Amino acid sequence: MSEVGNLHAESHGSHGGAGHAHGEPHQPVFVGAARRELDELLARYPTKMAALLPALWIVQNARGWVSEASMVETADVLGLTPAYVKGVVTFYTMYNQHPVARHFIQVCTTSPCGACGAEDVVKAFLRHTRCGELGVASPDGRFQVIEVECLGACGFATPVMINADFIESVTAERVPEILAGLD
Amino acid sequence: MGYPHQPHARETLVLSQYFGDRDAVGLAGWRKRGGYEMLEKALGTKEADLVQTVKDSGLRGRGGAGFPTGVKWSFMKPGDGKPHYLCCNADESEPGTFKDREIMRWTPHALVEGVAIGAYAIGAETSYVYIRGEFTEPLQRVGAAIEEAYKAGILGKNAMGSGRTVHVHVHKGAGAYICGEETALMNSIEGRRGNPRIKPPFPAVAGLFGQPTTINNVETLAAVPHILRHGADWYKKFGRADNPKSTGTKLYSVCGNVARPGNYEMVMGFPFKDFLYDVCGGPPAGRQWKAIIPGGVSVPIMTMDEAEATLMDYEGFVANGTMLGSGGVICYDDRQCMVRHIARIARFFAHESCAQCTQCREGTAWVTKIMERIEAGDGSMEDLDTLLELSENMTGKTICVLSDSCATPVVSGIKKFRHEFEAHITQRRCPMRTAAAA
Amino acid sequence: MTAPAAAAPTVNLTVEGRQVTVPAGTSILEAAKLAGVLIPHYCYHPGLPVAGVCRMCLVEVEKMPKLAPACATSVADGQVIRVHSEKAREARQGVLEFLLINHPLDCPICDQSGECELQDYTFQEGRKDSRYQEPKRFNPVEDFGGDVLYVPNRCILCTRCVRFMDDVAKEPVLNVSERGDRAVIGKFEGEDMTHPWAANVVDLCPVGALLSKDFLNKARAWELDRSASVCPNCTQGCNVMLETRDNTVVRMRPRPNEHVNKFFMCDYGRLNYRWLNRQDRIETPYVRRGDVLESADWDAALAAAASALRGKRAFVLASPMLSNEALHLLATLVRRSGGKGTFRVDRGPEAPLEGVEELSLRAERAANVRGAELMGFANSDSPLDGLGAGDVLVVAGEELASLDPGVAAAAAQKAGAIVVVGTALPAWAQRAAAVLPITNMAEEEGTFTNVHGRVQRFLQAKAGPGLARPSWFVLADLLGALGESTNYFLPADAFAALASANPEFGGMSYDTLGLKGSPVASAQTVEAGAGA
Repeated sequence: MSEVGNLHAESHGSHGGAGHAHGEPHQPVFVGAARRELDELLARYPTKMAALLPALWIVQNARGWVSEASMVETADVLGLTPAYVKGVVTFYTMYNQHPVARHFIQVCTTSPCGACGAEDVVKAFLRHTRCGELGVASPDGRFQVIEVECLGACGFATPVMINADFIESVTAERVPEILAGLD
Repeated sequence: MGYPHQPHARETLVLSQYFGDRDAVGLAGWRKRGGYEMLEKALGTKEADLVQTVKDSGLRGRGGAGFPTGVKWSFMKPGDGKPHYLCCNADESEPGTFKDREIMRWTPHALVEGVAIGAYAIGAETSYVYIRGEFTEPLQRVGAAIEEAYKAGILGKNAMGSGRTVHVHVHKGAGAYICGEETALMNSIEGRRGNPRIKPPFPAVAGLFGQPTTINNVETLAAVPHILRHGADWYKKFGRADNPKSTGTKLYSVCGNVARPGNYEMVMGFPFKDFLYDVCGGPPAGRQWKAIIPGGVSVPIMTMDEAEATLMDYEGFVANGTMLGSGGVICYDDRQCMVRHIARIARFFAHESCAQCTQCREGTAWVTKIMERIEAGDGSMEDLDTLLELSENMTGKTICVLSDSCATPVVSGIKKFRHEFEAHITQRRCPMRTAAAA
Repeated sequence: MTAPAAAAPTVNLTVEGRQVTVPAGTSILEAAKLAGVLIPHYCYHPGLPVAGVCRMCLVEVEKMPKLAPACATSVADGQVIRVHSEKAREARQGVLEFLLINHPLDCPICDQSGECELQDYTFQEGRKDSRYQEPKRFNPVEDFGGDVLYVPNRCILCTRCVRFMDDVAKEPVLNVSERGDRAVIGKFEGEDMTHPWAANVVDLCPVGALLSKDFLNKARAWELDRSASVCPNCTQGCNVMLETRDNTVVRMRPRPNEHVNKFFMCDYGRLNYRWLNRQDRIETPYVRRGDVLESADWDAALAAAASALRGKRAFVLASPMLSNEALHLLATLVRRSGGKGTFRVDRGPEAPLEGVEELSLRAERAANVRGAELMGFANSDSPLDGLGAGDVLVVAGEELASLDPGVAAAAAQKAGAIVVVGTALPAWAQRAAAVLPITNMAEEEGTFTNVHGRVQRFLQAKAGPGLARPSWFVLADLLGALGESTNYFLPADAFAALASANPEFGGMSYDTLGLKGSPVASAQTVEAGAGA
């Protein structure tokens, strides 16, 4: 980064996303066991950049989402710029750019599942969680329902992921029982 | 086999022999079933001989492109002093396809063995198995299998005591269909956006980290130990006598409206009609089929007449206006609205476009909007001409074929189901939606 | 007989019926340029790594089943390329249509209008009307920091800006965010476009997506007059276009020169053109009568200046902003009187462009430090040291504004007489015997010598104020009044005199310099981009 003095007035920054929740300072992710995990991952690749996707998974597993502050930390740890990391984060749909509800329900609705009642599964989840709308957290904050693209389990229609749990052969009828098993 | 795992008599179980067999998952169980005997043999065989055997077998890439695997391996120049890489494409995201997940969760060691043999054959000390992030169970099982293999000295610096280095690492994806494209997959491993690369340079010349690289599908690599065990001639026997270009078995993922969805392992050249009605059990009770997509949503849709006249191999599908592709067989019965499904497939591609090429970035979204407008009853006849022209502009003009893949169902759909499109346009609504709910 | 050195392998091909021979490894697009054929393109730029994403440059290659991207395909022997075949034209029209569906109808309010490549190619080959009926994508304008504004709605995602920041500026602060038709160029909050070379992305952007805040809504492209020139703001000597409207410089943009600045110029240089327009100029000659300076005509002022100088030792404090021609004449003044010549130069931090060799914002913030040195002027932070009582202090082009006022006043007192040749009247100049107004570098023709010894021409871009005359013209007249033979009609004559007098400039002329310049005799061989 060049250190030439202020040739231009400080910009007020673009309308970026929220930094950290509630203005709390960012607690580093890559400490202790997480740092050791990253170091072990770094040994697998000839470049630090190649550890970026695994590093972002460490962040998401620790925090449930990838905040801008986490992007800064990850960039720093891997010798990248935050802008670069953000470009990667926004490419891949599984990295949550905002906090998600405790049970993040993702229903496949791509065509083969669409032919097998996926729409009904979505409606059932929206009704029974009381979310009412896709992408909106339920009133009690426990659930959030979104549609996702093909989950690679087309013969087990309709597949649903709840966080990292992969549930096959979900039908509208099974939805209440599935939800009942969640805290 | 259908689920719960019930093989059909007319299947030929090679890769899927142990699907559903919990005992086959771990190393001990796998060894009981002959596991790693072929890796040991391979490690004592000249690399060039292994490549030749795979060439002779006629094995072709099972991810969708169907490129001869042995020929692909032979592009890797031995002794060039550069690190070679093998990438296993386990990104399985082509809608309708779900075979690699089964290989990985029921026989993860089969994959590890195939990867190890392939890596040795192409001179790669390090291999990456790129598993899509949504595949929780395959990630866990393949990861565990690799750990077991390292502990048992099968993988590592002195693989099976051969003195050769074979490292295998899992690289977890994060939600991008396009990372199943081989050059995008490499970019994703490198920690970049999953953008496909321009070719040339080809991966075998400058691939992962700029080094010579081969990318193979899960099913392709899983077949390699079997070919080594039984020989190329054995593999070649599976196929039509009058078509030596398609050999071996193929896992077909059958889904949609069908009596017995599942993964079925069939020899090349099997009659599609028998497959659909006998092996898979035909359409659901009381229904009739309307359309079949045989190889994942990127290949042209077939009418039932076309499907029933087809022999299941690479050339057989091409002869009937479509492609074998990934072997994802999607069945649509008479309840389904083809306009709705094509619109949804277009939306899938619009969502997955990486945004590099103008035609794909803008075209997939535009096509989706027109399709959804037609589906909602707000379309015109001119829209059909526009869709066909846009599809032409989206075909053969981009870095990768996602753009073409979006155009294909639109073109084949309008060609073969034009009456459904016209009904939406003239009736200004979806005629299927007034029928009894699916 | 020794074997001749192996020539680099070449390839013969035909582009639109024109035969051309190019080095192996050349892209079809560059080969076509050499054949005189422009293949329309957006994302390709010779100063950036190839991306091949816009798909505009698809050409038909005989015997190849698919169209090939000309920027990313190497030539092959015997290739026959069609750029304007029906297939290629249809493909381009397709790309243009796709680019326009979400593009706002902003031409009436967009700065790029008139110099917009989307306009140009659409007008040439695009559809006459739009058949897009769906809602257009909308994103708000973003301030990227520095001089850069981003208008996402107009962006065609060519990624030139990202590639520039990644590979040339080596400060990856721009990215592509999101996927598909949601994709936009993005940045990270707190990481702004404040890199010293960041504003080049505005030039690189083919459309009005990246705009200069400085130039925003200032002028229409077709109202501008353009002159080839050289950036005066440091010793690198980046080649520029000075763009004026109504005799006012409104923009400076880089002009390509593979030996000096490739395709780029720094933000400091680019935005520092306002001083060329300053209004507080000396507009007439002045002569001192009694205690005051009075306006006079040129003859009177030249006579007064010559009178002050005759028989005295000339101590010339020159400005390193003066041209080679002017400095040569001042050096003559010094030499003939056994005097001394000095100059001082402002300094600032250096700012290299990492991705290009030998290209930097240089510490010395004036165009012609090397020229001044070559003419024998001494570079000093106390440039008035050594001024003797009885010397005539000639202040040429220098305002002494940043010299200590006490030092300046003491010098003014010490000197026997003062002659001012300049653009602005220094505060202490009431003591001057004569004041001769000259034009600045935008208002005259001349040459500068850059840090690497490259002599480069700059052309006149606007008219000087009042009675001000070109620096070389005034100094030639002054020397003439002192008895030297200096009959120059054109700046080229002044340069010719310099070239014959100074062996460093031997053999040079305005014709040989052209618009890319030439190195002086002793110039180092290392210049910008050398070896790249």
